Amino acid sequence: MMGVNDMTPKRERKTITEDGLLLLDKMEKDRVTTVWDRFQDQLPNCGYCEMGLSCRNCVMGPCRVDPFGEGPQVGVCGADANIIVARNLGRMIAAGAASHSDHGRDLVDVLAQVGEGNNAGYQIRDPNKLKQVAGEFGVDVGGKDDLTIASELAYQMQEDYGMRRKSLTLLARAPEKRRELWMSLGVVPRGIDRETSEMMHRTHMGVDNDWKSLLLHGIRNALSDGWGGSMIASDVSDILFGTPTPHPTKVNAGVLEEDQVNIVVHGHNPVVSEMVLHACHSPDLLARAEENGATGINLVGVCCTGNELLMRHGIAMAGNHLSTELILATGAVDMMIVDYQCIMPSISSVAACYNTKMISTSDKAKFPGMDHREFHPHNAEKMAVQVVTEAIENFVNRKEVFIPTTATDAVGGFSVEAVLGALGGTPEPLLEAIKTGKIRGAAGIVGCNNPRIQQDYGHVTLTQRLIENDILVVDTGCVSVANAKAGFKVADAISFAGPGLKEICGALGIPPVLHFGSCVDNVRILVLASALANALDVDISDLPIAGAAPEWYSEKAATIGVYFVASGVYTVLGPMPPITGSMDIVKLLTEDLESVVGATFAVEPDPENAAILIRKRIESKRAALGLDARDG
Amino acid sequence: MKEVVVHPERCVGCMQCMIACATAHSKAKSLFAATLESPLPKPRVHVGVGQYDEGFPNRCRHCDPAPCLLACLPGAISRDLSTNTVLIDPDRCINCATCAMVCPFGVLRYHEEGSAPPGKTVAVKCDNCIGRQEAGLAPACVEVCKSGALTFEELSEAMRRKTNEISRTVSVAAEPQDLSPGFSLLNTMKKSLIQVRTG
Repeated sequence: MMGVNDMTPKRERKTITEDGLLLLDKMEKDRVTTVWDRFQDQLPNCGYCEMGLSCRNCVMGPCRVDPFGEGPQVGVCGADANIIVARNLGRMIAAGAASHSDHGRDLVDVLAQVGEGNNAGYQIRDPNKLKQVAGEFGVDVGGKDDLTIASELAYQMQEDYGMRRKSLTLLARAPEKRRELWMSLGVVPRGIDRETSEMMHRTHMGVDNDWKSLLLHGIRNALSDGWGGSMIASDVSDILFGTPTPHPTKVNAGVLEEDQVNIVVHGHNPVVSEMVLHACHSPDLLARAEENGATGINLVGVCCTGNELLMRHGIAMAGNHLSTELILATGAVDMMIVDYQCIMPSISSVAACYNTKMISTSDKAKFPGMDHREFHPHNAEKMAVQVVTEAIENFVNRKEVFIPTTATDAVGGFSVEAVLGALGGTPEPLLEAIKTGKIRGAAGIVGCNNPRIQQDYGHVTLTQRLIENDILVVDTGCVSVANAKAGFKVADAISFAGPGLKEICGALGIPPVLHFGSCVDNVRILVLASALANALDVDISDLPIAGAAPEWYSEKAATIGVYFVASGVYTVLGPMPPITGSMDIVKLLTEDLESVVGATFAVEPDPENAAILIRKRIESKRAALGLDARDG
Repeated sequence: MKEVVVHPERCVGCMQCMIACATAHSKAKSLFAATLESPLPKPRVHVGVGQYDEGFPNRCRHCDPAPCLLACLPGAISRDLSTNTVLIDPDRCINCATCAMVCPFGVLRYHEEGSAPPGKTVAVKCDNCIGRQEAGLAPACVEVCKSGALTFEELSEAMRRKTNEISRTVSVAAEPQDLSPGFSLLNTMKKSLIQVRTG
């Protein structure tokens, strides 16, 4: 007899993480919905939208194109599938570039105010980097004090955001061949805001209706983020808060402490979280916590603002994107402080079930069910003390606490400077290991979590397959937390690596997977790749390297993917971007770009297969450089 | 007689049929006004989720003989012969759910309805937009479907077309035909994602 169960779908596995599974069980018992429930409620997704074939850019429409060829083939304006898909992709890139670059703008703002003496708790923590970057921006640093340099550097960076430049300053970090290529393609970004603004203009009805020209501008727009806004964000964060150096840390929900006031920072910009960290060290507040029965104040992170603190101070990480709701179910989070990006608006309703006080801090990011405490450079120090005090006061409202796991050890904080430092000041030892074939090449694994893929399965599986094949992995953002949870980020993790990588990392005392930072810190990968290419006198596209975003979800990740590929890095995506409505565009991005920028995208949801694609790419690049190459 | 024919291979899962159906069964017949009505009009076609997260517009087949019609104790279900439509009379319906128990396709829903006495929960399902048909219009779900997953045509015409489609695939040395390479690519990727997710 056929039972009902024969027709029910296989139970989908939501996460590979132990803490995640236990907390999901708890939330199911507590009848609290999560991102996975909402994902199921959205199925099936709209095929027009998934294929990029719907256009909402004007109100002659909205329009959609029938992918089967019988219904409408053009929108009311006459735009066909190619134009509509290209316009939608262009706007996706613009949104991603705008997000990271606006994050950069907020840091430049703080730098400018520090320079003017309105520091309110912020200061120049890395004067050497200040002088180095100022030099790159053409600021004469001779005989000037740090604040004057900061002020002048901030002004020059503001110019990069504007329309006075013919090309962005930090493009000079790219290898000469790459810069010449960008010049010949006409994709040299001129101003950070200009390229995003121009993309919005081009995709307005009746402007750029050549899909190839739109996509070329997409490249320029993405480059304006990768070599502009994001790079400035990363540099200024180093100047203001210190250039990262390796720090031991801990990860997963086990970093929460039952007997301490737990504060979680969530979001991206260190401008807020750094001040909160400072307040958590205040003796007055620690005394207050004790008066309330807590043994201390435990600040931990999720998402990239956590990564920023981890990189510079070894602050522990409770989880990545899809853990943000789960960790609240511990009942141990007294306060979550958010700034912006990747903060699901659902989170306050989860927080309400577990006595977590939710605080929003940015004038540009407000959320339902959160108390708004607006941070600005002039009041940040005071505001941080105020919110930490509120967290301490909430400690007495604690109810049942369930901390499901013990934390895993990890090491984070590998800036390019730190990597070169570990190598003795030059990339030569790394190049030598690549030349001898002990290390086959390197891969940057970046991006998000996405409920379309079992949480962390894509990241961890791909990373494991690459390191066991002697490919050094650098990671950022949600991937770095996934790999830390998996135990890949301690020196002993060389036991997971192939013999060559094991030997090199063992000798240097570093893990085979290096935490490069937050998602704006993807630019550190570009800087390192440029240093390697320059040392070999080749282009980035000649190097045995690759990128991957196995669980990407966000517009920012789309932009990162485009600036990786446009910089010459072959990049494998897990989920398919919304482009299948135009097979011309699919072909361009996955095949034809090779002859244009020396790299393409590939889409491969299964990380086992993605690992094979990356290994083949790296071995073929080795062969082209005249190095020994293994058969895929 | 024209009837609604479902072509599942062309459903892109956009759910526009559901919105159009609810609107067509509102008092106002316009989307924005319909969202303000009480009771809220609800769709009678339901887009379900397939094994690979693809959509399928599940609507009443207007079976003949119709199990629901045969099982309905108060005799609320009848057939309109001119449109071959199985209809529910909301005044006679006693909300006993027998029709749902015998329906092989799970198309029945129970809720308050604009055409039913106020406050009364009744069985609701597709009526083939019989009112629209009287006015010379195609059913709302068909009108709004731009991918050709729902058509309104003579069954003989639909069958002839399908026969020819199949015949072309068995022609000597026939090239495999793909209605939409992009949609196939998307579905391949989705299938792969599901396999990764379920192991």
